[in-house]
Amino acid sequence: METNGRSGNELLVVEDVKKYFPITRGIIFQKEIAAVKAVDGVSFSINPGETLGIVGESGCGKSTLARCIMKLLETSGGRITFEGRDITKLSRAAMRPIRREMTMIFQDPYASLNPRKRVGFIIGEPLEVHGLGTAAEIKTRVQELLDVVGLNPEHYNRFPHEFSGGQRQRIGVARALAVNPKLIVCDEPVSALDVSVQAQILNLLKDLQDDFGLTYVFIAHDLNVVRHISDRVMVMYLGKVAEVASRDTLYKEPKHPYTGALLSAVPIANPELGRQREPIVLEGDVPSPVNPPSACNFHPRCPRFVEGHCDVEDPPLYSFGNGHVAACHYALERWPMSADEMRRPGSKTAEKALPA
Amino acid sequence: MALLEVNDLRTYFQTDDGIVKAVDGVSFSVEKGQTLGIVGESGSGKSVSCLTIMGLNAKRGTMTTGEALWKGENLIGMKDRALREIRGNDISMIFQDPMTSLNPVHTIGRQLVEAVQLHRDVTKRVARARSLELLKAVGIPRAETRIDDYPHQFSGGMRQRVMIAMALINDPDVLIADEPTTALDVTTQAQILSLMKRLQEDFGSAIIIITHDLGVVAEIADDVFVMYAANVVEQANVYDLFNRPRHPYTWGLMGSLPRLDADVERLTQIPGQPPSLLRPPAGCRFHPRCPYVMEVCKTTVPELVPTQRDPNHLQRCHLDEETKDREAAKIVAQTLAQAQAG
Repeated sequence: METNGRSGNELLVVEDVKKYFPITRGIIFQKEIAAVKAVDGVSFSINPGETLGIVGESGCGKSTLARCIMKLLETSGGRITFEGRDITKLSRAAMRPIRREMTMIFQDPYASLNPRKRVGFIIGEPLEVHGLGTAAEIKTRVQELLDVVGLNPEHYNRFPHEFSGGQRQRIGVARALAVNPKLIVCDEPVSALDVSVQAQILNLLKDLQDDFGLTYVFIAHDLNVVRHISDRVMVMYLGKVAEVASRDTLYKEPKHPYTGALLSAVPIANPELGRQREPIVLEGDVPSPVNPPSACNFHPRCPRFVEGHCDVEDPPLYSFGNGHVAACHYALERWPMSADEMRRPGSKTAEKALPA
Repeated sequence: MALLEVNDLRTYFQTDDGIVKAVDGVSFSVEKGQTLGIVGESGSGKSVSCLTIMGLNAKRGTMTTGEALWKGENLIGMKDRALREIRGNDISMIFQDPMTSLNPVHTIGRQLVEAVQLHRDVTKRVARARSLELLKAVGIPRAETRIDDYPHQFSGGMRQRVMIAMALINDPDVLIADEPTTALDVTTQAQILSLMKRLQEDFGSAIIIITHDLGVVAEIADDVFVMYAANVVEQANVYDLFNRPRHPYTWGLMGSLPRLDADVERLTQIPGQPPSLLRPPAGCRFHPRCPYVMEVCKTTVPELVPTQRDPNHLQRCHLDEETKDREAAKIVAQTLAQAQAG
């Protein structure tokens, strides 16, 4: 199903991408007995210069999706088109020139930098791999990059352990920028950082986007951070798209009950307002992606569950105009809503999804 | 009399590079039924303060002074045997990481029973009944069967519930929660916070909650301490703190929260990094990062003193009240716009 009209100049188009991790039994004759459906039919597209935020709880498949886009993982199905070119089936060699166009910033600035290499080497390595310039040129470029991300170019010869968490994440940003990419996939780039440092990195990412016309896929679990940086936001639940909308629409008029529950769960840094509202507390945990619930996978936790419909018919992505889509048969009529208002007359929350 | 009163607590660690002053003169007290929030970034000394009170720092290379009065008895320097009677019984603690704080080789039932039998002279059967009761109270579904499961069979949120059950099992008077929701997703965080609020109403415990999240503090705390570089820089009632913040660091924290209104393109960032506690800056410890820094800040350490208006609102800053009123109003207007848009 097409989620929105294609304009033809999207930078990245992801269509019905799936990633199943097989669970096997046996040592020599491995038999596939089940699959973890980490990403299960996700479609979206990104225009040049845009930031798409992807939010969801841990285990919803957002990081797996990022790795599929980067071709760090082979997809189990679907198609990824980058600048009009289908990259899904490209070989490693054919993929290499495209790797200059899309880079990644990783979550953990402590684990994603090689502790035995100097910062100059870490940032310069992508340039070397792609054969972009002589050693001297690379050094000049690296020092320029250090300056761009707000580090001292003289720290070229230092090791990662000599930097703080925020500075390390700047190194990660510099490395992602080195080859002048068009698309940067940021996988939880600020979740390991303190608030004051997080603000520095978010500002840096925004400035770089303005200066270099970058396109971001920004993955985070913090709804405030995503709201701050994104143009459009996609909410994922258990490997599927729950809702996609422009930033303002999603936060002001969410349609999917899961989005509503997520929004109401974010603590508000204002005691008067925070204590007035009644958060929609979801029952239970996210079910296992090995054996996801039938049809709408949110139905066992959903306050609007209708028996015989939500657990039988898989909801398509209903359109609400302006590219706002939500996978729910009984979309929210308005927002904000309390938990009681959200509950449909006659509907009851299905039996709690319990971990096996 | 306060339930727990901490006076001028100092914890210094001897390291190869010198002495790290992890906590440098912290005082607070907590009453029955009260929730105290301690906010600060990593390395500000918030966790170490609580570990010190609980006597959980390594003995070697640690110097502790000051007092933590529990019903008139000083916990600092108390004999291990006496401290063990109080710890987990009168004062208990929930640790940050539910993934690593439970013993992976014992069932949660066995760990809960152990916590009961350590402090109560009861049979295993009674202790198990009590464990079951608590697991039900914290909302573990099918508690009767799950009590015999191992920690790896639980999700993060469920493990944190088990930790809370274990902390509450002996009806403690004070519950210290060190970043109880940091490792959890927002929906699970909402579950745990509402659970803690409800349990406080039921059990009447005092809660000390340590967090770096101003949102969590705004939701749950009655009084708030803001810590920076081993010192308390501001202390106030939660409403006062959010409506009339008095310290540039607090403004910085509030300003660096991402907000809703699209007009604000850039976050107000606090420049630089938190200082090393080996060699903290002279004068006010925040001065190298402070946008309002004056000459006096670089030489004289500001005292933690009450503001002119409110004797219960303490702050550690040289800045004059007029500037503070102006700047605080700006920050509050911004955060309010954010909250309302949400």
